[in-house]
Amino acid sequence: MKRWILSLVIGFAPLLVAQVPNQEVVLSTSAGSKLGIAVPKPSVVGITEEQAGRELHETLLRDLEEAGPFAVLKERQLKSGDASNLKAWVEIGTDWLVTLKAGRPSAEGSDKVSRIVGDEVEITAQVMDVKSAKAVFSKKYRGKDAVLRRIAHSLADDLVARLTGEKGVAATRVVFIRQLSPLIKEVFQIDRDGSSPVQLTHHKSLTLSPTVALDGRLAYMTYKGGPPEIWGQTKPGGPFEKLFPAKGGPQGPCTTPVWSPNGKRLAFVQGDKRGNTDIVVLDVGTGRVRRLTDSNCINTEPTWNPAGTQIAFTSDREGTPQVYLMEEDGSNVRRLTVEGAYNGSASWSPTGSMIAYVSRFEGKFDLFVYKLGEGKSYQITTGVSSSESPDWSPDERRLVFSSGSLGGMQLYTTDLSGNTLRRLTEFSGCQSPKWTRTR
Amino acid sequence: MRFNRTIISAALMLSLGAGIACNKPAAAPKVDEEAVKRAAAEEAARKAAEEARLKAEEARRQAALAAEAARKAEAEKAEAARKAEAEKLAAYRAAAEAALKDINFALDKSAIRDTDKPKLQIVADFLKAFPQAKVQLEGHCDERGTVEYNLALGDRRAHAAKSYLTSLGVVEDRLSTISYGKERPKVEGKNEQSWLINRRCEFKLQ
Repeated sequence: MKRWILSLVIGFAPLLVAQVPNQEVVLSTSAGSKLGIAVPKPSVVGITEEQAGRELHETLLRDLEEAGPFAVLKERQLKSGDASNLKAWVEIGTDWLVTLKAGRPSAEGSDKVSRIVGDEVEITAQVMDVKSAKAVFSKKYRGKDAVLRRIAHSLADDLVARLTGEKGVAATRVVFIRQLSPLIKEVFQIDRDGSSPVQLTHHKSLTLSPTVALDGRLAYMTYKGGPPEIWGQTKPGGPFEKLFPAKGGPQGPCTTPVWSPNGKRLAFVQGDKRGNTDIVVLDVGTGRVRRLTDSNCINTEPTWNPAGTQIAFTSDREGTPQVYLMEEDGSNVRRLTVEGAYNGSASWSPTGSMIAYVSRFEGKFDLFVYKLGEGKSYQITTGVSSSESPDWSPDERRLVFSSGSLGGMQLYTTDLSGNTLRRLTEFSGCQSPKWTRTR
Repeated sequence: MRFNRTIISAALMLSLGAGIACNKPAAAPKVDEEAVKRAAAEEAARKAAEEARLKAEEARRQAALAAEAARKAEAEKAEAARKAEAEKLAAYRAAAEAALKDINFALDKSAIRDTDKPKLQIVADFLKAFPQAKVQLEGHCDERGTVEYNLALGDRRAHAAKSYLTSLGVVEDRLSTISYGKERPKVEGKNEQSWLINRRCEFKLQ
C-alpha cells in the first residue's frame, strides 16, 4: 500500500523483474568497514549520455556516498585494465559492481515490432558481488525523463535495503520554512540532496512550524488571519484549511502543531488570557480538544514518541526552559534535561530510543541527543553559530537542523558523530526543517 | 374693331372706377381698428411673455446664485470640518507617536523593568486622553531562544505589559496582544545592544 502511494506521488512504478530470490541481509565486509561499491557509467540507448550521466549516474553516486554503509569506488581509481574487466574492480576493493542500462522501454505490438513509448525511460540495475561472482540484485525502474533523479534515489534506497535490511533515505524530502520578505514566511519542501525546492503555501503572511504526518499531510501555523491559527490538510494531497480555533469556539493564539504518529491527533500550543501557554491535543476527526498542561508558566514544543503514548515538551515551570516528559493524558510529568540553563526543541527519534534537543551556552545553541536507554546526553554539534530545530532522518542516522545568523539561516544535516556535516539549502532565511518520506 | 376698342376702354374705365371706389374713405376706419387692436393685444402678450421670461430668468439666476452660495458655504463648512478632523487625527497620531514607545526586557524574562514603568504610565495617560483609542501589544524576543519557545515568551511579554496597563486603570478590552517571537527583529546585529532592542513590547494603534 505504501509503495503504491509512493509510486503515485513520484510518478514512476518500479518493475520487479527477475528478482533475485535470496534477499537476506548481506554483510560481506568485515564489521565496521564499508562495503566497496562501484557504478561504471551507464550504457544508454535512446537518451543522451549527458542526461543519464548527470541525472542518473552522478545522483546515484552521491546518494550512495551519503548513505553511510558504502565506500564508492571510481573508474579513475582503476589500476589496470578497463572498466569491463571484473578483476580490475576487485583489485581496488570492489565488493559490489552495479551495472546500469538506461533506455526507452519498448512495447511489442501485434506486429511484433518494437516501438518507443513517448518520453518514458527504463533503467535496468544489476548488482554483482564480484568476490563470489554472484548476482545480488536486479531491478527495472520505469518513469518519465523528468524523474530520472527520483529513480536514482529509489535505486540507492533499494541498495541500502539490500545491504542493511533497512531502506535508505535518498528519496526523502525536507519540509521547512523560508523567509520571502521581512514580513512573509512560507512553507517549502526540498529533496534530501538539495534539489527541486517547491513552495507549498501561499498565504503571503508569517507562516511557521510545519509538521508532516506519516501519510504526508501537512499542518502549520499562520498569522494569515491576525492571531496565529493552526492550518493543514485533512486528506493527503487535500487543500490547506483552518483546523483550529474553530468558528464560534474559544479563540486565542495557537502555535506549534505536531501530528501524532497515527495522524489522527494534532498536539499544539494554546495561549491563555494571562500569557501562559499550554499543550493541547486536538482530535482532528471529532474536533474535540484536550488540555494536557495547566500551570502558570510556558509549556511548548511538544513531540510525540513513535507509539503516541508520551509527549516530550519544553517548560519553564522550574524557572528556566527544560525538556520534560509526560503521558499522552498529561499525567506523570518528569524532567528529562538536568544540565544547562536553557534546553528545548526536543524531537523524538523514529524508533523512540533517542530525543534530540538544543542546549544554549554563551548565547548559542548546539544539538544534543539524549539516549533514553542510557539516561545520558551526547553533544552533536560544536558550532561557531547557533544550531537549532533538530529533526530526525527517517532512518535515524542523521539530524537536519538550521544554523547561521539571524535572517541568514541555512539547513544542514549531520550524522550523530557530528563529523559529516552537509549543507542542504543554498538560499538564506531557512528554519524549522522536518524530514519526511511521504511528500 | 372700333367696338372692340370701346369695350376695352369701358373695361378699363370700369376697372379704374372700381379702383377709385376702393380708396373711398367711407370703408377704411373699420378695418384699421381691428388690426390695431389685434396688434396691440399681440404686442401686450409678447411683452407680458417677455417680462415673464425675464422674471423667470432672473429667478433662476437668483436661485443659482443662492444655491452656489449655499454650496460654497457647505463646502467651506465641510472643508473646515475636514481640517478640524485632520488636525484632530494629526494630534492623535502625534500623541500616539509620542506616547507609544517600545519597552524592553531582560534576557529570557517577561517582568516589567522599573525603568519602563514611566513609559507604561505615558501609554496609560494617552489611552485616557483618547477614549476611542485601541492598542495592540506586540511581544518580541531576541534571537537567543528557540523559535517556538520565543513565541510563548513574546506572548508573555505582551501580557505583562497588558497587565501593568490594566493596573493603571486601562480597560482590558482596549488592549489586544500578539506575539511574533523572534520572527520580526527590529534591528540586526549580534551584540547586547541589538538584542536588548529586539527584546521588546511594541504598542500599535488599532
